Amino acid sequence: MTRRLGFLVLLVAAVGGGGAIWACVEQVTAPGSCPNYCPTDSIAIRDTIFTTIIERDSSFRGYVPSYGAEAMSVADLPGIVDSRAFFVLAKAATRVTVKGGDTTTTPIIPDSVRFRLSIMRRDTLATNLRIRLYHVPITSDSTSTFASLAAAFNEPVVDSVNVSALLASPAIIDTTQADSLDRRFYGDTTYRDGAGHILAVRDSGRILDLYFQLDTLQAPVVEADSGQLGFGVRVAADSLASIALGTNEGGRPPFLQRFFHHTIPDTVSTQPDSIVSGNQTQTPVFDGFVFNPPTPALDSNLAVGGAPSARALLRVAMPAFLHDSIDVVRATVVLVPVSAVQGVANDSFRIVVHHVSTDLGAKSPLDPSAAGATFIHIGSPDTVNLEITNLVRAWSLDTTMTTAFVLGQVPEAASYTEIRFYSSRAPAFRPGLHVTYVKRFRFGEP
Amino acid sequence: MTVGRSDGRTAVALLVVVTLAAVGPSGRLAAQDSQLGIRGLGTPGKSESVRARTTGGAFAPFDAFSPLSDAALADVRRMSASVTSGVSWRSVDASGTQSSLQGTRFPAMVIAGPVTRRIVVGGGFSTYLDRSFGVIIQDTVNLRGVLQPVTDEITSDGAITDLRLAVAARIGGRLALGVGLHRITGSTRVTATRSFADTANYRTSTAKDEVAYGATGGSASLLFDVTSDLRVAGWVRSDSRLRADVGGHTVSENDLPRTYGAGVQWRAGAQARLAGTVMWRNWGAVQSIANAHDTFSWSVGAEIGSPAAPFRFGLRGGQLPFGVGKTPTEVGYSGGLGRQFAGGRGRIDMGLERLQRRGTGLTEGVWTFMLGLTVRP
Repeated sequence: MTRRLGFLVLLVAAVGGGGAIWACVEQVTAPGSCPNYCPTDSIAIRDTIFTTIIERDSSFRGYVPSYGAEAMSVADLPGIVDSRAFFVLAKAATRVTVKGGDTTTTPIIPDSVRFRLSIMRRDTLATNLRIRLYHVPITSDSTSTFASLAAAFNEPVVDSVNVSALLASPAIIDTTQADSLDRRFYGDTTYRDGAGHILAVRDSGRILDLYFQLDTLQAPVVEADSGQLGFGVRVAADSLASIALGTNEGGRPPFLQRFFHHTIPDTVSTQPDSIVSGNQTQTPVFDGFVFNPPTPALDSNLAVGGAPSARALLRVAMPAFLHDSIDVVRATVVLVPVSAVQGVANDSFRIVVHHVSTDLGAKSPLDPSAAGATFIHIGSPDTVNLEITNLVRAWSLDTTMTTAFVLGQVPEAASYTEIRFYSSRAPAFRPGLHVTYVKRFRFGEP
Repeated sequence: MTVGRSDGRTAVALLVVVTLAAVGPSGRLAAQDSQLGIRGLGTPGKSESVRARTTGGAFAPFDAFSPLSDAALADVRRMSASVTSGVSWRSVDASGTQSSLQGTRFPAMVIAGPVTRRIVVGGGFSTYLDRSFGVIIQDTVNLRGVLQPVTDEITSDGAITDLRLAVAARIGGRLALGVGLHRITGSTRVTATRSFADTANYRTSTAKDEVAYGATGGSASLLFDVTSDLRVAGWVRSDSRLRADVGGHTVSENDLPRTYGAGVQWRAGAQARLAGTVMWRNWGAVQSIANAHDTFSWSVGAEIGSPAAPFRFGLRGGQLPFGVGKTPTEVGYSGGLGRQFAGGRGRIDMGLERLQRRGTGLTEGVWTFMLGLTVRP
């Protein structure tokens, strides 16, 4: 019996050991010599534009208002749009307490004001770009319109600065941020003009912080207004007069810093008649923009963008064969614009696709991550193709998913720009789904 | 000789252990594959032990451990098991495109033992059709008005195995008859992948599945000793249609060929044995395949030296069943050694084979190193 077991061990060791060593170097794949020595079936690919499966599409407006946007659009494009930003700064102290525990106050005496606007986006080809500051009523709010603020913008300019001229002036290099050759890798480059305007170029060079130096007439402290101030901004240029200003929602709002002093009365202090200096800051309690002409009302087309923002909801009736026996390798939504978007010629904006988690109409919850995105270029009437391959692949594999998506602008309501696509109500131009798919390989057939 | 219960248990244990050992390392049972089998049912396996294979296959109908002829089992005098393995290096020249391939195979295993003085029962497996291959195809397709380079990779990993249960009986002193029942089974893991040069816009498509094969068959054979030194053999085999199932659904059914063969062996004294065989298979009856051909094959070989340590060599020629146009051909040369040990209870065989295959626009050269082990516990 022992001898028989010995033979078994020998047999298993020889076969198993030898096989394990040889099996490590398996190589059976070679370039095919087709068609003679390739499988009879081949991987077949099809490319189809489904023109009727996008249906029950609609647009809805009001998701984000202009005063909730990440930026304020300011533009002056004759014949196209006149967009103006405005904001109301928070209340500020007009009097100060001079002694702790004492209710006696004394008025502050303003000295000067440093006021900052952040230019988040601009056309670098714009020449003679000028920014003008106006007073607007502190009662300005979400009900304010272009017309209601027109009078304020027709008042004398509070201050004006030529950004192009500032950028063309000699730069003041921050030597702590630059190397010995004054090359700036990270940090700021600063420009200054004779009127006290300072322009700081931040980081990548795309964001400009523009500082105004205002006096007590330009930024008065009105006790009746609790120190509140309202400002409006217009822009002008030889051409391409369009910028975006930072807002509270965008994390870079207008910012006012007031420097003041007050005198301590001799009756309440051990330092009678002494002068004390101080400063306080104000940020907007409200910021927004108005433009003319206003965004047209929704119609039968699919509107995306504008302010308040509009989104388009598109539902897809997936054909049964797209759920089985195929593998989607590319899927594109094909959208035909009703007309080219008006605006600054070199500008663009981004629209994104979000999958609808549950179809509840206008208030449908959306997947937070974008399923596709593309840029819409101003003035281009071209058909828009949006890649949504991963989304359609998911629909193909999971029949429980909601087959609908929403088109929206990013960032929303930060601009007057809006694109309109033909909807399924326009048979000749309705949205389509362009799907490239691979047919299931016929395994098992010789 | 009588066979006790312990022999029966040993037989079962051997069968299980050897099968697991053979299948385990590579995960498949296969013969030597060929590009010539891609556009067909596969590459027919060789039902030969290392001993038979190193004689060009000429000794197969007379060799109890070659699962070709059931009647040969009648020569088994005690419980025995034999397994064959091999590693192949294959060079392919397909219309000027050359590639080198390599594979490890366990083409055959036989276990047999007498149940009475005249009757021997045996079984085992061999590769019926090999379906292991992989092809890479590069092409350009017009997608959305743009010429798009694509790469397809279609792979199949597996084989169709012939499980055999056979009975052989010696009738009188000169005649031995054998019959076998065959269950043809196996599966292949298949993958078809298309990838695009433009990976930014196009996703790779991969389809995977498993194809299960099934058929049954029967075989009959005889050995006749014309004289004490001259033996002739004949065999015939027929199988049902081969069914291919994917996901539980039958996707194809194909005819399998009938096989007819004959051989002669001459013992030229105590130190030399010569043999020759011919075999015909009507693969052309596979109606579903356009370029299937009937095949005729022949082989001659010799075993020189004492039975305990012989030297073997052989020559084979023949045809392959699947190929466009002219029937593909195969020519082979082989040689090898055998050595008994442990007082004849074990034998190790090894050999080297060179095959040259030619089809329309395709040439294959194969070197195969074979190792066989036979034990009689």
